[in-house]
Amino acid sequence: MEHEQHPQAPRVLTRRGAWRGRSAVLISGLTVALVVVTVISAGRGQLGVPPAEVAGSIMNRLDGGLEWLLRRIGLEVDLPLGIGPLPSHPQGENTLWLVRFPRVSLAVLVGAALATAGALMQGVFGNPLAEPSIVGVSPGAAVGASFVFVTGVSWLGEWTVPIAAFVTGLLATLLVYALSRAGGRTEVVTLILTGVAVTAVAFAIVAFATFVANPEAREQIVFWQLGSLNGARWPAVAAVAPFVGVGLVVALLSARSLDLLSLGDRTARHLGVHVERLRIVLIVAVAMLVGSGVAFAGVIGFVGLVVPHLVRMVAGPGHRLLLPASALGGAVLLVGADLVARTAIQYADLPLGMLTALVGGPFFFWLLRRTRRRAGGWA
Amino acid sequence: MGMSLLGLRRRGRLPAWVEPGEIITAARGVSVRLGGSLVLDDVSLEVRAGEVLALVGPNGAGKSTLLSAFAGDVTTVRGAVDLHGRRLGEWTSSEAAMRRSVLLQQVTLSFPFTVADVVRMGRAPWSGTVLEDSDDDAVAEAMAATDVASFADRRFTSLSGGERARVALARVLAQRSQLVFLDEPTAALDLRHQELVLSVARRHAAGGGAVVVVLHDLNVAGAHADRVAVLSRGRITAAGPPRLVFTPGLLSDVYAHDIQVLDHPNSSAPIILPRR
Repeated sequence: MEHEQHPQAPRVLTRRGAWRGRSAVLISGLTVALVVVTVISAGRGQLGVPPAEVAGSIMNRLDGGLEWLLRRIGLEVDLPLGIGPLPSHPQGENTLWLVRFPRVSLAVLVGAALATAGALMQGVFGNPLAEPSIVGVSPGAAVGASFVFVTGVSWLGEWTVPIAAFVTGLLATLLVYALSRAGGRTEVVTLILTGVAVTAVAFAIVAFATFVANPEAREQIVFWQLGSLNGARWPAVAAVAPFVGVGLVVALLSARSLDLLSLGDRTARHLGVHVERLRIVLIVAVAMLVGSGVAFAGVIGFVGLVVPHLVRMVAGPGHRLLLPASALGGAVLLVGADLVARTAIQYADLPLGMLTALVGGPFFFWLLRRTRRRAGGWA
Repeated sequence: MGMSLLGLRRRGRLPAWVEPGEIITAARGVSVRLGGSLVLDDVSLEVRAGEVLALVGPNGAGKSTLLSAFAGDVTTVRGAVDLHGRRLGEWTSSEAAMRRSVLLQQVTLSFPFTVADVVRMGRAPWSGTVLEDSDDDAVAEAMAATDVASFADRRFTSLSGGERARVALARVLAQRSQLVFLDEPTAALDLRHQELVLSVARRHAAGGGAVVVVLHDLNVAGAHADRVAVLSRGRITAAGPPRLVFTPGLLSDVYAHDIQVLDHPNSSAPIILPRR
C-alpha cells in the first residue's frame, strides 16, 4: 500500500508553491486596488481633483519630505520623485491635505482594523460568525467613547477616545468570551444570543449617555453612532494609527497559532501552542483594533464579517494569508464605501454604518443559513 | 519571524532519544477529580520506549482521563506525570509537543482546511528548529502510512468520519514524536483501516517509539499490544502482557459479565468472548 504513494510527495510540494504564487497575486492585487481606490476617492467630492493631480500632489510632498529627511542627516540630493501635475484648482492642495487625505487615511485604518478584528475573533472563538458588531464588542467600545463625549474629559489628549473605547471594548470582549463558551466550544446560538444581550446593555448605556448629554454632545453622539468618517482630521488619524499598528502586528505574528487553534484547544496545546496566553493576547488585540475603529468613526458593522469570508472563499482558511488579505480588503472596502457615502447624493454625507449594515445584514443572514444547513440544525 | 511572543517560536530543548526498554513517561500516584467525583484514584503506570501499551476497561473506568493526565490536559489532585525524566510541568508547551503527540477521540476543525494542511499542522512543534527541513518528508510519509494521500487536496470538513480519523492520525504521525497517545483511534474505522492503524502503532514501537492506546475491543488489544493495563473504577486492576492479564476471572469481574478467553488456532493472541 505504502509504495505506490511516493509519487504523492512532489505533488504536495508543488501545491505549496502554487499557494505562494496565489497569495502573492492576492496581496499585490489588493494593494493595487487600495492605491487606486485611495487616489480616486481623494479626488472626488465637491471640489473635484483628477487622479493624476492627486498622484502628483502626493509624489511632490513625498519628494520634498524625503529630501528634507536626507538634509537632516547631511545629504543634499535632488530626488526625481516630484513628478506629475499639481492640483490646478487654487484650493486643490489644501482640500486634499486638510480634508480628503485625513479622511481616506482614517478609512484605511478603520477598515483594516475592523476586518482584521473580525478574522481574529473568528479564529479565537472557532466560529465563522463571530464579528465585533454582532457579538457586542463594537457596542461595548461605543460605551467608552460616548462617555468621553458626554463628560468632555481629555486627560490623555487626542488618545482619550480610543483608549476609553479600548477599555470598554475589552470588557465587552471578555464578557462575551466568558459567557458564550461552554466546554471549550462556542456554539453559534449561544454566541449570537450573548451578543444580543451585551449589545442591548451597551446601547442602553449609550442611550443614557445621550440622555444626560448637553445638546451639542448629544448631536455628536447621535451622528457618531450612525458610523461616519465625516470630519476626520490628522490628529484622529495619529491617535488611532499606533493601536491599529500594534493590533495588526500581533495578529500577523499569531497567524500560525490561529491555524492550530482551529483543531480545538486541547489539540492546539498538544502541538505546542500556549493556548491561554494566546487567547488573552488576541482578545486584547481585538479590543485594540475595534476600539480604534469605533473611536472616531462610530459603529461600522459587518466589515469584519464580509471581508474575511470573501478572502476565505478565494484563498482558503489559512491565517497567514487571511489576516493580511483581510486588512487590505477591509481598507479597500471602507475607502470605497466612504466614497459612495460622500458622493451618492450630492451635498449629503450618508452615514457609513448605514451603508455597511445595508449590505452586511443580508450577507450575515445568508451565512447563517449556510452554516445552519451544514451543521444540520442548531442542536 | 518573531513568533516567540505567542509561544510557537521560542525554541526549547530538543528531545533526546529514549533507548528501548527505558521509561519514557510515567504516572506516579495520579488522582484526578472531575465534577466532584474521583475519576482516577492513585494510578501509577510506567511506559517504556519500544512498547505498545493498551488501556482497556469498561465505560467510565477512567481510560481517557488517564490519557488526558499523561498528555497534561487535566490537573491532578495528587501525584504527577513524568515525561523524559522530568515533571510534565517543567517542559514548555512546545517542548512537550516535541516529545509526545496526542490523538483525541473527537476530531474537530473550525475552518475548512485541506487534508494536506491539517497533516502539516503536525509539524508545528518543529518550526524554527533544524528538523523543520524534514517537514515535507514527514508529511508525505504520514499520509502514505495512513492511506490518505489520495485525497490530500480535499477539504477536511467534506470527509467521512473514518477518513477524518485517519487524517488526524496522519497529523499525529507527522509530528514524529517518540511517544504517541491514541484515544480510541479505531472507533470510526472499518476492519481494514482498524488493522492499518494498529500496524502503524506496531511499526512505531518496533522503531523504538512508545504507543499508549485506549481500546475498547479486547481482541484488538490482545492481538496488538505488548502490555495491557486494565482500568476499573479509576484504578488499575492489572497490567502486563495480554496473555497473563486477560483471564476469564479478572475480565468477568471487571466487566461485570461472564467472559470466556479462548486460544486462537494459529496465533498467540487470545480470543475474548462474552458468554451468551
